[in-house]
Amino acid sequence: MSIDPAPTVPAEPGPMIEADNLVKRYGDFEVLRGVSLAVARGQVKVIVGPSGSGKSTFLRCLALLEPVDAGRVVLEQRDVSWKVGAGGGTERRLAPYRSQLCMVFQHFNLFPHLTALQNVMVGPMHVRHTPKRQAEAEAMALLDRVRLGDRAGRYPHELSGGQQQRVAIARALAVRPRVMLFDEPTSALDPELVREVIDVMEELAAEGMTMIVVSHEMRFAHEAANAIVMMDEGEIIEEAPPDRFFTAPGHERTQRFLQLVKT
Amino acid sequence: MEFDWQIFVDALTSEAFVSGAALTIGLAAAAQAAAIVIGLGVALLRASPIAPLRWVAATYVWLFRAIPTLLQLLFVWNALPQLIPSLRDPWFTPFLAAFVALALNEAAYMAEIIRSGLNAVDKGQVLAGKTLGLTSGQVFRLIVMPQTIRVIIPPTGNEFITLLKLTSLASVISLRELLTITSQTVSVNFRFAELYTAATVWYLLIVSIFMLLQSRLERRYQWTSRAEGRRGAAAAVPAIVTVNR
Repeated sequence: MSIDPAPTVPAEPGPMIEADNLVKRYGDFEVLRGVSLAVARGQVKVIVGPSGSGKSTFLRCLALLEPVDAGRVVLEQRDVSWKVGAGGGTERRLAPYRSQLCMVFQHFNLFPHLTALQNVMVGPMHVRHTPKRQAEAEAMALLDRVRLGDRAGRYPHELSGGQQQRVAIARALAVRPRVMLFDEPTSALDPELVREVIDVMEELAAEGMTMIVVSHEMRFAHEAANAIVMMDEGEIIEEAPPDRFFTAPGHERTQRFLQLVKT
Repeated sequence: MEFDWQIFVDALTSEAFVSGAALTIGLAAAAQAAAIVIGLGVALLRASPIAPLRWVAATYVWLFRAIPTLLQLLFVWNALPQLIPSLRDPWFTPFLAAFVALALNEAAYMAEIIRSGLNAVDKGQVLAGKTLGLTSGQVFRLIVMPQTIRVIIPPTGNEFITLLKLTSLASVISLRELLTITSQTVSVNFRFAELYTAATVWYLLIVSIFMLLQSRLERRYQWTSRAEGRRGAAAAVPAIVTVNR
């Protein structure tokens, strides 16, 4: 069982996903002030930064869940941007790209009226048009993979937070995303449940999934990330491999932030 | 004059009372069904990004909630045929007039109930649907609608019971529903106690049956698995689940 079988194509000419100078405003307030980030196939980048720095907004813009005021989102050399004021039919055009940039949310957002298995089957059945029997088999395999095969018939409210988040990861995997975006996937969890979710994410990273993760789980950042990205006030102020980021941060604001996180 | 049980039982089981009760149920069910459909449309218009559409919907709710139901009924039955000659033809029956009036009236209330139900669905649900690649229509049908239905079942049950009793207003336009039948029979034999009690029993019976249906429907929307071992939850497990491995 593996995720989207890593295609054995020759060396990539460019990044898997790229944010090019994204600008996002809410009224007069500029949440994203020209954010650029490129992630190569199989890379994992972790975004950290104080609350209100625009991390989540950045992720939602990348996931094509919010339109941007300026800049481009480029998925495998293709401009898939959603601009503010784009006309009708935009959502229909975006839908297929959204499933390739699938997001996992802080509060899981599982569908409460569906069992764990049905949650995972929704994407394959209604987006990929997989026949039901096959969708069920695939969903079951994915639940096994996140070690929840025995919870397939349970409804979300019957699962712990950690279990819910693992179902949410399986649900995202079911649409075979090219890139997975995690928005603080463990910050709504009780401390003892964080590990089980992080374990699954580390496995995904090891198997070559391209991931962008907003998280303050420093252990995950240490062990799985290729680079750590520091955001503050709507900008990326620093990007560095984990060892350098933690030991010798270049920016004074990064140093201050790391002090806060460590304590 | 004592309470005559024979008269009571005869009235209760008379063909006139049974058909009156059937008409009451039929009118209420048809009007409620139409009201849900119209109400859904109005509720969606109220959330429209296009301002004039929102105004139209808000005006509808305002108008039909402000005017007494009885007046709406009289308007549809008496005033509309005056304005639209074709409504004077025999096809425009009291039943049809009552259906139109009650459906339009009830739709205004249903619009508000459905609107609150739609608002009760967490916005994160829509985002989760969209990130999987579902279109807006699919998100609405597969994700938002089932969760809305769960929220609106109890208030809709309330509305339906109110509507059942509002059908008695149609006695003023000579629709032969339960109360009309009762009044007509009373005017012949003056057995008020027996006949009003018979009508009461019919209303109690009808409402009780629908309350039972409602609680079954609510159980179906409980979203609890068999594994929790709650009685009756089996019906809540949709067919595509395979619990056992």
